[in-house]
Amino acid sequence: MKLCNTRRLRTAKFVTAGVGPLKPKQAYSSPMGRRDDDSQGRGKHRRLRPQDASRRDFFKTIGVGSLATAVVTGVQDVEAQGPPPVGPGEIPITLTINGRRHQLSVEPRVTLLDAMRTRLEITGQKRVCDRGACGACTVIIESRTYYSCSMLAIEAQGKNIRTVDGLANGNALHPVQQAFCDNDGLMCGFCTPGFVMATVALLEKNPNPTPDQAKKALDGNLCRCGTNIGVLKAALSAKGVSRG
Amino acid sequence: MSRIDGPQKVSGRAKYSYDIVRPGMIYGRILRSPHAHARLKSIDASAAEKAPGVKALLITIKPGEKVMFPGEEIGALAAATEQQAADALRMIKVEWEVLPALASVEQAMRPEAPQVFTPANTRRGAAQEDGDLAAGFKAAAFTVEGTYSTQVQTHTSLETHGCVCEWNGDTLTAWVSTQAVHGTREGFAQGLKIPQANVRVITEFMGGGFGSKFGPDMQGLLCARLAKAANAPVKLMLDRKEEHLATGNRPSAFAKVKAGVAADGKLTAFDATTWGTGGAGAGSDYPLPYIYVFPNRKRMHTDVYINSGQQRAMRAPGHPQGCFVTEVLMDELADQVRMDPMEFRLKNLPPLAPNAMWAKYFPMGAERINWRSRHVTGDPTPGPIKRGLGCSANRWGGAGTGARAHCEIGSDGSVVMRCGTQDIGTGNRTIMAMVVAETLGLEVAEVTIELGDSNQPFAPGSGGSTTAAAVMPAMRVTSGKARDALFERIAPQLGVAASQLQIGVGNILVSPSTLDSSASGQTAARSGQASRSITWREACKMLGTVPVSVDGQWERGLSAGGTSGVQFAEVEVDIETGITKVKKIVCVQDCGLVVDLKTAETQCYGGIISGLNYAVFEERILDRNTANMVNPNMEWYHMAGQSDIPEIDVVLVDQPERGVIGIGEPPAVATAAAVANAIRNATGVTLRSIPITPDKLLTELERAGGTN
Repeated sequence: MKLCNTRRLRTAKFVTAGVGPLKPKQAYSSPMGRRDDDSQGRGKHRRLRPQDASRRDFFKTIGVGSLATAVVTGVQDVEAQGPPPVGPGEIPITLTINGRRHQLSVEPRVTLLDAMRTRLEITGQKRVCDRGACGACTVIIESRTYYSCSMLAIEAQGKNIRTVDGLANGNALHPVQQAFCDNDGLMCGFCTPGFVMATVALLEKNPNPTPDQAKKALDGNLCRCGTNIGVLKAALSAKGVSRG
Repeated sequence: MSRIDGPQKVSGRAKYSYDIVRPGMIYGRILRSPHAHARLKSIDASAAEKAPGVKALLITIKPGEKVMFPGEEIGALAAATEQQAADALRMIKVEWEVLPALASVEQAMRPEAPQVFTPANTRRGAAQEDGDLAAGFKAAAFTVEGTYSTQVQTHTSLETHGCVCEWNGDTLTAWVSTQAVHGTREGFAQGLKIPQANVRVITEFMGGGFGSKFGPDMQGLLCARLAKAANAPVKLMLDRKEEHLATGNRPSAFAKVKAGVAADGKLTAFDATTWGTGGAGAGSDYPLPYIYVFPNRKRMHTDVYINSGQQRAMRAPGHPQGCFVTEVLMDELADQVRMDPMEFRLKNLPPLAPNAMWAKYFPMGAERINWRSRHVTGDPTPGPIKRGLGCSANRWGGAGTGARAHCEIGSDGSVVMRCGTQDIGTGNRTIMAMVVAETLGLEVAEVTIELGDSNQPFAPGSGGSTTAAAVMPAMRVTSGKARDALFERIAPQLGVAASQLQIGVGNILVSPSTLDSSASGQTAARSGQASRSITWREACKMLGTVPVSVDGQWERGLSAGGTSGVQFAEVEVDIETGITKVKKIVCVQDCGLVVDLKTAETQCYGGIISGLNYAVFEERILDRNTANMVNPNMEWYHMAGQSDIPEIDVVLVDQPERGVIGIGEPPAVATAAAVANAIRNATGVTLRSIPITPDKLLTELERAGGTN
């Protein structure tokens, strides 16, 4: 067993994937949880760049949610600038998910994903890696994709959060959902809600992506069954997605 | 056919075990060993017991007892929220005497290695021999010697292992992420020492298993015990790290091989010493040599034990290892005799048979990958990008038996088929509905399939690609019996014999009797009138309040076992960076009668992508000192992303005369070997070890001094 894997790990997949050498992606995203592939269709130059998120922005993001005490201890100046700290106990929050307002109480450390799944029984998005690598938890917030496992619930207040549960209109599937069914873009189906949301976000920005643009937009999602062929067909064939 | 459960899965309405929420449900977490090999000195859970939200706590290890791998279960607790459970877990004080551990096969096989396992760190199997090895090597014009190896990979099912357990008095209902609802019921009953009659296991949807989910496992039993102790439903789903550490893996494989070939290209001899690790106390054997005929051979395998989680069956257990070793060796031997690798294979295949069609499939695949454009080993094209082609073959069983089913036809025309099988993502539910619908002349949407519940008639676990071959005959037989029972019931009311009825398209055809006019035959026969029909609904209405309700089971003759297939790979390798881009895979595969082309092709895509991961991406990496896994996640445990997926060309060969055979595993076997051979063809250097990562490739290229 070789130990010196760092170089290999940094080069093996991500360069071939065209995603760039830096991962985990969300570590440099701003605000937390944003997927770097969310630049669908803006061309290959828009890549993950640490400078996209300055340290200042990072702390600001944390500060807005008043998480300073829980996450960044000892950053006195940030605390002083932000609203008063909350937690560590449960605090009341309001989340707007699929157009519906939900009031709930969570500890500040609870992620958006867990708040949805364990407090609201909105279980469409799945918890798989729980650290922003697999994309099964992908939600759309204000037309961008986010890993909801890497965003705190308190951070998501006041925003319009969309999950796979709210896409269909009754029994009428969203065109992307229909395309996944038609093209067999699913097997066990556990990655599917994430892929569907990433595809919706892509097509709302760019209704006619090239194969490369679609692949890039879906690189933040992983499937273990290997449905990627059907997924790509679905992303390229779904029509009638209005611009978000 | 588009999957009938597709709309539920794409809309989030499909409820997996992970999604189950029960009234008053609390959350369980497992306490695990941080050490690879250690003896417990003391454990103090008093603080955790009193921690906020904690409702139940179990410790399953006693002082003096040992753990054998990182992640081994030593206790569990349940609390009102996941966060409280995680907090409480950290309050348990555990003191260990850390013992010497074995982190690799190399360490375990050293003579001076500490004896960690009883009776020894290794277990040598019996020699497998055939022919006369010495004579075989004497007949050889050339020999190749080398050591080949494959890595440990973990299943990495997206839905982790786990369940929700709920007691009602002495009876347990468990929503489990499992590939075997009946086997898991048995496992709960045995593990909890309660009657099987008191256990119900439900798995309506499950998020992948790949061979790792056949029972309740430790986490299931702990969950049930926590639920009993807390008197509340408990959800206990593992996290990603636990999943990598403790829920199975594919063993590594090593093979020191010497093989001989005669000047005419006929294989003469194969001598291999092989070893590998399936973790702490588990085996690692695999089939070798694979497929090709070595008339004189000897093989000796040794299981090596190390302090890591135990192996479990993983998508075609053993075959990808044996395929990789043999197929890379085949390319090396072909070069020795200066033959085209495909021609060389054709010369050494077993005779053609329904389950051994490689000689026919190789030329088919060659055509589709444009094998004629292949250059000899080492792309002569100047520049850093080298292109190459490679091929390989696979075989698998895929026979199944024993499934039972129950079919009801109601007076409103509804059809319900119940079978305690499970759809682990293969499309089982869909093809079940297709078979039933076809038998009854209905649309697929008019058939209701109920599966994934141990209260339904028995069906075997979904492993070994056996589900389709086990379940489809049961569907055919049971729906046929239901049809016959329906005919018997309505024939008197129609004034005809049941033999005059047959299934049409959405209706039942009544033909004039050509036989006698006795009994109920009556008017239709005598008058010689033309055949008529009644709609399915009209016919079912005659049933009144008592539905048709029949049992049926698998019968011989509708399914079989034994598949063959070949794969070709086209790659581009950048010899400056060592990065391989797989451009195209061609797969020619059979699986008997193709029940549904769309889902069968998807199975092939999936298998190939898993083989691609095995070839160039994934590997469980253990720290050489602590035996702890250094990449127990999904960013450093690499798998192909969307941009890594090549063009995949699947040719499914239909063999309707053979009946139904499974297709889940066969396509996963050959891809890694085909990719490895294509990389060898591109670069001119031989990589005898997967995954073929840039560092390995660059090292080998440097040793060889480049390709030109």
